Amino acid sequence: MQDNKKFFLVSLLLLCLFQVYGQEQFSSQPTKRSQYSWVATFSGGAGYYVSNKGTPALLSRKISNLSHVTTFRLMWFPDHLLHVGLETGHLTFYTYSFRDSVNTEGVVKLKAIPVLIEWSMAVTKRLNLFAGSGVYFLTTNLDYRGKATSNKLSIGWMAAGSYIVPLSANLGLGTELKWMNASEASNGILSLQAQLVWKFLNW
Amino acid sequence: MKQAILKATVALALLSCKRDLEAPVPSLAWEEFTSAAAVRLPGSTLQRIEGVYTLEQGTEDFGTLAPAKWSYTVNGTDTLYQLSFFLEKQSAYIICEGRRLDSSILLNGYWRRMVNTETGRIRLTIAKEAGAGSLLNGATASTSVVIAGVYGFGETVPDIPIRLRYSQPLFNATPFQILAHRCGGRTADLLPASENSVEMTKLAARFGATGIETDVQLTKDGVPVVYHDATLNERLIQKNGLVGPVKNYTYAQLYALVRLTNGEHIPTLREILTTVLYNTPLQFVWLDSKYPESIAIERQIQAEFMQKAAAMGRQLEIVIGIPGEEVMTAFKQLPNYQSVPSLVEYSPEEASAVHARVWAPDWTLGLQNEAVAAQQAQGRRVFTWTVDIPENVQRYMREGRFNGILSNFPSMTAYYYYARQ
Repeated sequence: MQDNKKFFLVSLLLLCLFQVYGQEQFSSQPTKRSQYSWVATFSGGAGYYVSNKGTPALLSRKISNLSHVTTFRLMWFPDHLLHVGLETGHLTFYTYSFRDSVNTEGVVKLKAIPVLIEWSMAVTKRLNLFAGSGVYFLTTNLDYRGKATSNKLSIGWMAAGSYIVPLSANLGLGTELKWMNASEASNGILSLQAQLVWKFLNW
Repeated sequence: MKQAILKATVALALLSCKRDLEAPVPSLAWEEFTSAAAVRLPGSTLQRIEGVYTLEQGTEDFGTLAPAKWSYTVNGTDTLYQLSFFLEKQSAYIICEGRRLDSSILLNGYWRRMVNTETGRIRLTIAKEAGAGSLLNGATASTSVVIAGVYGFGETVPDIPIRLRYSQPLFNATPFQILAHRCGGRTADLLPASENSVEMTKLAARFGATGIETDVQLTKDGVPVVYHDATLNERLIQKNGLVGPVKNYTYAQLYALVRLTNGEHIPTLREILTTVLYNTPLQFVWLDSKYPESIAIERQIQAEFMQKAAAMGRQLEIVIGIPGEEVMTAFKQLPNYQSVPSLVEYSPEEASAVHARVWAPDWTLGLQNEAVAAQQAQGRRVFTWTVDIPENVQRYMREGRFNGILSNFPSMTAYYYYARQ
């Protein structure tokens, strides 16, 4: 455990040094003509389910609207400000536990895997705005008088803004505020994520 | 320029907002009607009021003719009798309860247009000298019967005059089934109950239906329930975190967690048929089999309820709907399937092959008068579905040979059927 911590701190220090002494820094905006790259973004953080909760009013229930949101994004950076790519991941929209009139307990979880086509605009070298649409693979996990798993495809969309601090020419650390919405059941989640941005291929 | 863009953006945002449409049943408070002196009218009196009325006032909102038909709903030990008027303009209807006050008849209720969300209160009176005296003494309505009163829009106190005069008896020269889609009507049409619910089934006769169509599918534990869509969704249910097909959940899970748009639970097929049999005057049930897996249990329940109806001396016909070949294959696995009451939606040849009681082609295939006549020659009735446009209902009644029409607006079908000369 201690070793892991040390490794993490040393890695972070090295990354910071790269940033300080690097010749070139990661930028969301093109630095020269005819330069193209692929950029991968790994994000993780917390989400808050802001939509109408939608739980059966007749049951005694407890709602949890804080959950994890983990996403992976792959974007093509051409030599202009508009980027395009795909984002996927895993998130839990919301969870609630309940108790029926004879005290039988149950839990409902509504999860989703988004697959979204996204466009982004590099407003500055560090600030990006995103908008995308696509589908959410929704899954209900119900545990009440037996277990049930049920899936449904929903169309949906997202909008986000991110700020990236360069660590090197090809790496950046960022934070992203993101709204993800699955239209089928009016499910929307606002998430705050930390992210690692890696320009892994340049030509 | 900037201002124009800003205005356009704001307008777009506002126009993009989802409007929640509502058409709630207005308050029916009427002091005179609820006074201790006002006594509920028995069904027999309402039956004597039945007939086609001509509007002498109120034509601008409701048209010129208004067939009136009575119905009942049994609620426990109480039976509620209603009188419905089916109106010409914009598929409107009026639903009233009746009371006797001294020698007058009071009719209190509401009206609704099915083409929009307009609704309002209506208060009608048949004065002693306008026919109430003879109606209360056992006479049937005649041209001397005049119903006069007021109506209003929304919750406003009614103050617009309306006057109806009896002109002729209801048309009934050729027996005809007025079938209501999804137990009475669609949730999307903002009716007071959700589609495919027990509550909607109780309303169907008030909307003019003589029978209903309902959608059957199985839960994970094999309970036949009534639900139209392939999956749980917010078009039909309140939000609850459950997604996907009905068949992924047990009945206990659905009963505990799922509520239809107006708060009802998803009913079992048995609940719907129990309601039809014991609570309504409905005579016909079309079980629209969504999947082949439900056919065997549908047959058991169909036989059970038709026996119950026969034992009560109640006229009730329940048919298993066969929408396509997959369900047909399952239907043919039933023992003695040719004697099982059925309705075939697609092919007249298949309807003949399984000795279906009804052939029910889609209305978009046209009048098909020759094919219809050929089926009728075999002793089979022919219904068409789902006819919602007034001009089409009128044309199919005038030029077609159908024995019944399935519609989301049974009050409209009722108007065109009962108002015929």
